[in-house]
Amino acid sequence: MKQEIVLKPEVLTYIGVLPVTNTLLVSWMVTLFLIVVGFLVGRSAKLLPSSRFQSLFEIVIDTAYTTVEDLAHNKAKVFFPWVTTFFLFIITANWMGLLPGFSTIGVKEIKDGKEVLIPLFRSINSDLNMTLALALISAIVTHIFALRYLGLKDYLKKWFSLNPIFLFVGFLELVSEITKVVSLSFRLFGNIFAGEVVLATVSGISKFTAFLVPLPFYFLEIIVGFVQAAVFMMLTLVFMTLLSEKHGNEH
Amino acid sequence: MDIILKQFGVEPLLLIAQVVNFLVLLYILKRVLYKPILKVLDDRKAMIAQSIKNSEEIEKKLAETEEEKEAALEKAAKEAQRILEDATKSANQIIEDSQIKAATDIEEMLKKSRDQIKQDRETMQQELREDLANLVAISLQKVTGKVLTSKDQKKLVEQSVKELK
Repeated sequence: MKQEIVLKPEVLTYIGVLPVTNTLLVSWMVTLFLIVVGFLVGRSAKLLPSSRFQSLFEIVIDTAYTTVEDLAHNKAKVFFPWVTTFFLFIITANWMGLLPGFSTIGVKEIKDGKEVLIPLFRSINSDLNMTLALALISAIVTHIFALRYLGLKDYLKKWFSLNPIFLFVGFLELVSEITKVVSLSFRLFGNIFAGEVVLATVSGISKFTAFLVPLPFYFLEIIVGFVQAAVFMMLTLVFMTLLSEKHGNEH
Repeated sequence: MDIILKQFGVEPLLLIAQVVNFLVLLYILKRVLYKPILKVLDDRKAMIAQSIKNSEEIEKKLAETEEEKEAALEKAAKEAQRILEDATKSANQIIEDSQIKAATDIEEMLKKSRDQIKQDRETMQQELREDLANLVAISLQKVTGKVLTSKDQKKLVEQSVKELK
């Protein structure tokens, strides 16, 4: 079965003016899944771990916290929830997108005279809305933290200076702040979307390649899903740490 | 820019929906997952540190107790030795004392009985002598009759008694 490659997420229905796309539906599922799991793990957290589940989450959270602490030191407590949620959300979304039924279960609709499949579920990071939202949150929160830790004066000093050379550098940095958002969102989007396309293409080469042949690519996608989540988390952490540091320290 | 965004299907409402979604997730995870787990991790770290400290202290105390025990045992052994020696000594003393006392008692008793016997004999002799004197006097009275005056008689008796002695 040949699948169309579409950049846009398909709209399933409307709630008021809000178009519920298949990616929005899945992002609700991811959120709900993480909340339920987080609630179950957090509620039964004991000093003496009774379940492997708790140990698993302890490893994840401890590793994340140590990483944040190594980079951000005394600001770790504030940065930690943000970057860890980025990581957990993205990795859950990426891996959930590999589950059977994603991009395959749906309704057929006639569009522009052709019959196309509208999938019910779609990997959420293959929708630029999602990745752009994440990147915007990352950037805005980073600047809020910078303002909070530096104060308005030191924050503005990062971009504007009486020295013309530094003024130019500040302008470049300002531009780079925008490119950060673009690179963060498109990196994640590109990786996951490409993965989806590869899986669909490999499955669709012939009738038989849908069996076993895509398996290596699935393993690859599992790794990519983890790597992209880690990259997003690390970059956000680095941006937060760098921007919250005083300008004078860099020279 | 606008065309690109349109091409990718970016829509402000969807963006906002995803942002809200994420923020809700962040808030809930922070409360139900991160806080308890981090607390457990911290508590565990503190407890392990405490346990290590405690075990070190216990070890130290154990060594001290061992030393004290050794010292107490040594002291007790010495004390026991001393008590034993004292007891032996005093027992010996008691035995010796009682032996001496018994000896003196016996000596005294013997002496006392000897004296008693002596006295008894003397009394008896005295009585005998008087009896004899009376006997002699009576017999003399019978023999001599009225020849002798009672005064003479008495004199005679006394003399003979003296001779008898």
